[in-house]
Amino acid sequence: MSAITVIRLTGELEIGRKDEISRALRLTGSERSILVDFHDVTYADSTSLAELLRFRRDADAHGIPVAIVIGSRQFARLIQYAGLSDAFTVFEDRGAALTYLSASQTS
Amino acid sequence: MANRSNSRRAGATIVLVLLLVLGLLIGGGLSVRSLIARGFDATTRLRETLGISRQSLVAQLDEETGIRGFAVTHDRRFLFPFTAAHQILQPQLADLIGRLEAQHVDVAATAAIDARDVNGYWLADVATPLLANRPARDPLALELDGKALIDRYRSDIETINAALNERTQETQQSVRDAIDRINIFVAFTVVLIAAIGAGVLEAQRRSTQRIQRERLRAEREEREAQALRAAYAAEKRIADSLQEAIAQRPLPTIPTLRFSATYVPATDESMVGGDWYDALELPNNRVLFAIGDVTGHGIEAAVTMNRARQSLISSALLGGDPGAVLRRVNEELYAQRAPLVTAVAGFADAGTYEFVYATAGHPPPLLIEPGRRPRLLDCGSLPLGALAGTEYKLYRTQSVPGATLVLYTDGAVEHSRNVLEGEELLIEAAAGAAQQDEVDTASFIHATIFAGRPAGDDVAILTIAFAGVNAAGVHISADDASSAFAGRLGRGPAPGTALGRLAS
Repeated sequence: MSAITVIRLTGELEIGRKDEISRALRLTGSERSILVDFHDVTYADSTSLAELLRFRRDADAHGIPVAIVIGSRQFARLIQYAGLSDAFTVFEDRGAALTYLSASQTS
Repeated sequence: MANRSNSRRAGATIVLVLLLVLGLLIGGGLSVRSLIARGFDATTRLRETLGISRQSLVAQLDEETGIRGFAVTHDRRFLFPFTAAHQILQPQLADLIGRLEAQHVDVAATAAIDARDVNGYWLADVATPLLANRPARDPLALELDGKALIDRYRSDIETINAALNERTQETQQSVRDAIDRINIFVAFTVVLIAAIGAGVLEAQRRSTQRIQRERLRAEREEREAQALRAAYAAEKRIADSLQEAIAQRPLPTIPTLRFSATYVPATDESMVGGDWYDALELPNNRVLFAIGDVTGHGIEAAVTMNRARQSLISSALLGGDPGAVLRRVNEELYAQRAPLVTAVAGFADAGTYEFVYATAGHPPPLLIEPGRRPRLLDCGSLPLGALAGTEYKLYRTQSVPGATLVLYTDGAVEHSRNVLEGEELLIEAAAGAAQQDEVDTASFIHATIFAGRPAGDDVAILTIAFAGVNAAGVHISADDASSAFAGRLGRGPAPGTALGRLAS
């Protein structure tokens, strides 16, 4: 049984979607490992990046591994600005991220 | 909207169905009414037929009485009842048979035909011999035959009467049933009309209520919008006055460095945020430069901006490299649970032409060097206030005389939502600025990027240049700087700031 929770957001993440984003990036307590799929995200404003950072902190506090998939160079650049490249395990495609999370579960 | 028209359609359907049922009820009622009318007619005709049947019995009695009287007395005067009755009885019986057949009282019709035939036999076999006074048989036999025929006739008439009475009762019963039915129809119709009426009234009441509710909601929304506008206006005023503090702190005048800066608030007032920049000469010939941006907008962002800004200067005064400076600011903001703040802080050394800086979640500095295409430097640590104990990477950039470091907030590169395009535009604008002599680099870059277009977010730009030969080949010094930027440094708010806008 796969115990990887997938959270997927697309498009431009900005303050107008704050509620949607903070709802998506919320731990329910049943996650064992999380894949945040931002493959189709091209932009995130500082509010959204702050939400992502808060989510990372919450997951860390519960010892839940998080992998993030980034498909666009623009978004990757914003992640680099925010210093999140080091805070997250980043993948360019979903398959690699899932493999990583599966491995982190069995180990 | 769709729901409302759906329910309206459903309501119309219900009314149509009710009207259809009403039509059926009225139609049914009318047909029952005609049934009743036919029932009454039938009863009347049955009564008339019964009357004729009874008359037939009387007429037959008259015939018999006349014949008996004549047979005993031989006086023709006794024949009168017979003669009178004899004239009407056969036509009367024919009429009776016709009516009974028409009314389909079959038992009675058969009995009536028998009665007519019996009367015929009686006339032929009993009455005629007696009238001729020459009985063919002995009187007793004749008398017995006559009695049998008369009894049969009477029995026929009784059969007819009984059948007619029975039929009359049946008809009356069916009329009574029909009346009961019509009463039910009437009751249903009344209830239905009442229901339709109630439905129409209810629909009217609901639509009145809905109109009322919509008016109240529109009024409430208008009030809320007004309150919101007032709140925005108030917040904007406070944010503006805090933002003005940025422009009111003059940039330092240092022989070996020259500065330029611009701050343009968002055109959308609700988006005015917490951008700031600072350039300060610290003890021991250190020159601090900093730029920052608070996550979010409005009053909270402006207050946090002020706090972060003061914290950064205090931290710089405590000593240490830019990484240490940001580390202390981070701990302070984290402890205060402030909104996240992105920043670049660093020192410029005019003796060695070195920039040393650290970034916290902020876009990277841009370096313009004479004879080279401008380039973005390294960046990348978490924003301030995000995580306790964050370490900030230290970056050292060895540069050359005439080099300019450009610091900016995200509004300068994220205006199109494509940050890579935004970076290219910024590099182009910086390259353009490098080709200009005696130019306010920050304002030039801003003007080139936005080219008169409104900016959706605040934009702050700060530049720090080493004296030397600039990209345009002009030797710059502190004197040049002070003459070129006297307007910016000496006369308060810059034209692009909120205060500048208020002043113009």
